[in-house]
Amino acid sequence: MPLLTRIVPVAVILIAWELVARTGSVNPNVFPPVTEIVMRWFAMFGDGRIYAPLWGTLWRALAGLVAAIGVGVPLGLLMGRARWAEWFFEPLFSFGFPLPKIALIPLYVSWFGVFNLSKVMLIFTDCLFPMVLFSYHGARGLSTIYLWSAQSRGTRGLRMLWRVILPLSLASIYDGVQVSVVVAILVAVVSEMVSGGGGLGELMIRSYRYGDVRTAFATLVTISLVGFALFKLAQWLRGSLLHWHVAEA
Amino acid sequence: MKAYPVAKIIPLLLLAGVWQAASISGLLPVSVLPPLTDVAVALAAMLRSGELITNTLASFARAGAGFLIATIGGIALGLLMARRRVVERALEPILLLIYPVPKPALIPLFMVWLGIGDVSKVAVIALACLLPIVTATFNGARSVDPILVWSAKARGTSERRLLWRVVLPAALPQIAAGVRTAIAIAIIVLVSSEFISSEAGLGYLIFSYGGVGADDAMLAVVIYLAVLGFLLDRLYLSGLRRLMSWHAFAH
Repeated sequence: MPLLTRIVPVAVILIAWELVARTGSVNPNVFPPVTEIVMRWFAMFGDGRIYAPLWGTLWRALAGLVAAIGVGVPLGLLMGRARWAEWFFEPLFSFGFPLPKIALIPLYVSWFGVFNLSKVMLIFTDCLFPMVLFSYHGARGLSTIYLWSAQSRGTRGLRMLWRVILPLSLASIYDGVQVSVVVAILVAVVSEMVSGGGGLGELMIRSYRYGDVRTAFATLVTISLVGFALFKLAQWLRGSLLHWHVAEA
Repeated sequence: MKAYPVAKIIPLLLLAGVWQAASISGLLPVSVLPPLTDVAVALAAMLRSGELITNTLASFARAGAGFLIATIGGIALGLLMARRRVVERALEPILLLIYPVPKPALIPLFMVWLGIGDVSKVAVIALACLLPIVTATFNGARSVDPILVWSAKARGTSERRLLWRVVLPAALPQIAAGVRTAIAIAIIVLVSSEFISSEAGLGYLIFSYGGVGADDAMLAVVIYLAVLGFLLDRLYLSGLRRLMSWHAFAH
């Protein structure tokens, strides 16, 4: 679809919103005009008050995500190739998968405190599930021809995992990363809304409490943009890292 | 989709055994993790007092209402988008715009607009569940074999009948997958919204027991929620299998 026809429906809604908000028939502190939200968004970047919360959310989300990749990929690959690991871990992960990990916030706060660690651990836990399951399915579905040919040349153990199984499973692992990026931002924001800590989520709750809808809206836009940018970054990285991969051909 | 083998429970039991042994032997202080038996006792007490049931019902009413609105609205919108160009052109850009918004982040805004009661929670749950269902329905209805549509049209089937008797049934497998995603999302948004503000519900129970340091009762509700989510998913899958046994794609 051409860009212009895509813009039309969104523009219609925004203009109607602006007009309704400007007629004075709604309370502008509950339902502010679009232009005021946009101005607030620029103002928050202009005077720099968005940077600290933005950074807080971003580093916690990325720390949890990176930790989940570091633990989840080796574990998932092991489960895909070693019978005992599959026997033990697969039921645990498939049983834990439907549990909303957000429900663990109070438990993690009592274990790791209300500050950064409990949030990073929660993001780690939530991202671990997709990372393990996607790596596991990637490693399990490998064509045995590659494994046999590596084996016949004497490749064994860790080297096999690192040089053969990991590269071949990368496409599936990457699907897991793309799911996890979205999860990481979501969990970071929700955990900040529930237990503070100075991120974008806390900023939203605080502006709600002060009745500052403009800031709440501008923050929501920032959260969505961060999530979208990270997702696109992951997509772009996938294309540039995996262009050689069999699954991409 | 096989039945869940009993052997898969063994690792879960092992883990439970290690937990129990570690907290009884004092290796894990009670303040970190109370013994599993304490959790079971707390669970039994909450079941007896009816506390668990009332809060489950409160949560179910919220999640169920949002989910139901999303299912009906999502399937209707998805079908319309697939069959009417205008609708697709109008809605697709808007859906693309809403997609990257983490839905629980909408909770504070919805509380301003709709109050801190049930309406704002139901609205956020409905919106969060709507997107996967619309997308799945649209994709499903789009990929319906055109021969089916042509042959129905050639026999003079009206558009309404066509939608109801041809397009919808053919799109069902994809819709079913979208609905399954929506069930999981509904539970996540439900718990988040109940953490942020509520006086009843499973999220409220977890949060208030956690707040007063009653870890055994809190863990009991968390485990109960996990089992509930798991059973809900299994129930949905088995219901689906029965419902779709006629379908060409069913295995």
